[in-house]
Amino acid sequence: MWSELAADARLSSRLRWPDQDSSLRRALIWLRSRGLLVLALQRMSHRYMQRRAQHGWTLGLILTRLLLALTRMPIMMVTKCDVGETVDIAPGVYLSDCGFLILGMARIGSGTLIHERVTVGPRAGDAGKPVIGANVWIGPDCIIYGDLGDGATVLPGSVVSIGVPSAAVAAGNPATIIRRQFDNAALRRTLARDIDSGSLAPG
Amino acid sequence: MSSYWNVVRADVQRCVSGKQTPLRRAAIIGVHMGLQAVLVYRFGRLLSASRKRVAVWPLLPVGWLLYGLAAFGVRRAYGIHISLSADIGAGFWVGHFGGVEIMNCRLGQRCSVGQQTRVGHAEQAHGPQVGDGAWIGAHARITGPVRLGNGVTIAPGAYVTRNVPDRALVVGAPGRVVLTGYDNSRILPHP
Repeated sequence: MWSELAADARLSSRLRWPDQDSSLRRALIWLRSRGLLVLALQRMSHRYMQRRAQHGWTLGLILTRLLLALTRMPIMMVTKCDVGETVDIAPGVYLSDCGFLILGMARIGSGTLIHERVTVGPRAGDAGKPVIGANVWIGPDCIIYGDLGDGATVLPGSVVSIGVPSAAVAAGNPATIIRRQFDNAALRRTLARDIDSGSLAPG
Repeated sequence: MSSYWNVVRADVQRCVSGKQTPLRRAAIIGVHMGLQAVLVYRFGRLLSASRKRVAVWPLLPVGWLLYGLAAFGVRRAYGIHISLSADIGAGFWVGHFGGVEIMNCRLGQRCSVGQQTRVGHAEQAHGPQVGDGAWIGAHARITGPVRLGNGVTIAPGAYVTRNVPDRALVVGAPGRVVLTGYDNSRILPHP
């Protein structure tokens, strides 16, 4: 859990200060990043859930349970985020500090960026949870019900109910695939949202 | 007064069922932010309906103070703003939390809304009129003096600015009816 959180802090610090990453900044970012707070709570809940299923009750688990019961609602109120405890989050994921995330997917791959006001969950009445691949960029105000492949990009304000293949760009409400091969490495380097629309033209 | 309690009971029964133990039911009410927001709204409506009952006037200042504090807390901490200008039928359900704004509108009985939903607008006095049993998905927006029929289903992210017939499924921005005769009972939340 700690190494995963360290990877999250490294990614957050790299996104915030692209050229000035340092261990001091990585430590300081814990004080000001709400996204990291959400990830810390989720990783703790997830680990608690796994350990609880394996070992039954132990003293450490009872104490963790008490800690989670006391901190869950305040953290939800401060961050406005609810990330399900069953979500399997790979190390090194960025969640927006602006919050309003309701996430109920099966898995998130590493290097994924999720901006604010995003809902991910199963279709209503359908139990299958979507899988988010690695290195995915999800813009603000998106709703996602379909699987996203590795390196997929979801432009802001999209409602994705289809599966998005690897390295594709989805946009619109309801979303369509507007481009097949797109390298989102430039988008994932900083938190700037000024997308060069020329580079996204169907090609 | 008994009708008021029936309304509150219908709201609570959307989230908890009689089959659960009392402790479990209390725990659900304790963490269900949407239900708490609806209960605060019902209390505010009770206060505004008591305006003409002279017998309860001495209690009203305390009641409005409590309502003001609770509504402020719900708005800031949960991000759920259910204005008293909204007229909402019994059995209202708010799923999740954050960015919900419901004002200047009329919702029928047993309606369900998701997170980030906006129904009505602060600057439009005559807002949407929604029928019974509507399911309004997350991030949906309904604005303008539109009429939505009974049992309509607004897909997540839809933007509704036109009238919608009974039991229709609306998708997209701008919202268009893709299906009529859609049965949303399968997707309604059950306690």
